[in-house]
Amino acid sequence: MGIGKKIMTWARIKSPWILHFNSGSCNGCDIEIVAALTPRFDVERFGVIIRGTPRHADVLVCSGPVTRQIRDRLKRIYDQMPSPKFVVAVGTCACTGGVFDGCYNVLGGIDSVIPVSAYIPGCPVNPEAIIDGVVKLVGSLEEGKSA
Amino acid sequence: MAQILFHIFIFPGILFLLVMSFLIEFIDRKLHARLQNRVGPPWFQPLADFIKLLGKEVVITDEADVTIFRVMPLVALTAAVTAFFYIPLWGTEAIYSFNGDLIVVLYLLTLPTLSFFLGGWYSRSVYSAIGATRALTQLFAYEVPLLLSVLASALLAGTWSLSELTRFYDAHPGWWLFNLVGFVVALIALLGKLEKVPFDIPEAETEIVAGYLTEYSGSLYAFIRLALNVEMIVGSALLAAVFFPWGLSCGPLAGFAFFILKLLVIMALITLLRSALARLRIDQMIQFCWKYVSTLAFAQVIATLIFKGVFVK
Repeated sequence: MGIGKKIMTWARIKSPWILHFNSGSCNGCDIEIVAALTPRFDVERFGVIIRGTPRHADVLVCSGPVTRQIRDRLKRIYDQMPSPKFVVAVGTCACTGGVFDGCYNVLGGIDSVIPVSAYIPGCPVNPEAIIDGVVKLVGSLEEGKSA
Repeated sequence: MAQILFHIFIFPGILFLLVMSFLIEFIDRKLHARLQNRVGPPWFQPLADFIKLLGKEVVITDEADVTIFRVMPLVALTAAVTAFFYIPLWGTEAIYSFNGDLIVVLYLLTLPTLSFFLGGWYSRSVYSAIGATRALTQLFAYEVPLLLSVLASALLAGTWSLSELTRFYDAHPGWWLFNLVGFVVALIALLGKLEKVPFDIPEAETEIVAGYLTEYSGSLYAFIRLALNVEMIVGSALLAAVFFPWGLSCGPLAGFAFFILKLLVIMALITLLRSALARLRIDQMIQFCWKYVSTLAFAQVIATLIFKGVFVK
């Protein structure tokens, strides 16, 4: 890696701004994601900030299985994010579809619609697990893998 | 020529303001975090954010006016940087000064708001349009008290030049205490100008996504953040120069140290208010500014006029 690329990778690792999107979750994981952003866990230590708009975000944090209703919206939100962009699937449902897999209105996990960089299982996920997942995603960036 | 280029690009121009804006943003965020009982971001956080945003893709929507959308962040940054040259930093003399530069500084500080309005409006997003109109509505509420409070201090000194104003207060030590009410007014108005928390209505992220910044991404957004930070520095420096014009005649180094100290105190006050207060609605903000803050500013001007008429003969 050249020095410029090294600096850019460092900056990307140190400042992952996230966008939270509920793609059909039962709200359990959403509560845990919000809990992970509270002062108790203080993710701003790692440079994580939650943004309101996909244009400012680097990491799309999705919770829940993809329903047929939400598919187009999820795709659109993903397309609106400027690259480089990453997707984190939070919760068992977001990883595989979970207990909702096979329902008439459910397509499956997040990766049935958009590419996913990190899977965080759990029902619901612990805030510690979410932070660990994001840290691992960032770590895979450092090794130069196309996460 | 070389000196002018040095002033523009190194000190006190772009490079100095770049470093200062990273420092100021770090202090702001760290203090905010500590007030919330958090650890807060590391010292390099603003730098990492800036570099990361420079490396991101710039998305421009089909409906947006490309020229205005691209140019407006740079216009805002340029205006804010230009305003810094007229403020006395280490002595009683600014780098450039003429009679009336106080008005020019206030005008240059209005330009960022106006350019953000245009940029938001021409990005043709509904959220941007709401945020942009709110920014302009807010402008009419805080601009009058800010101008009046600065006017009160300038009336007492009898000049429209920042350098002459500093010299006057230097020759009359203790007179700046008379303008303390004006300082409170100007601080509230500055919160509105910088869109800090009680008055962050134009970019209220819980209601209208990110206001006029909604469609900005990548390097354009990085320049907007930089422009907002520089505006914060220049606004605080203006308040320091107009309302705390002491300690500037004791040599350039001590004067500069005093200037940084004053800047940090004003910044800390802004952060404290941002952490302690919640957002107002746009109608509440305008009522508050016109009913109470403007009245206070008028009272300061009238008190200054009476003081000047009775005692200064």
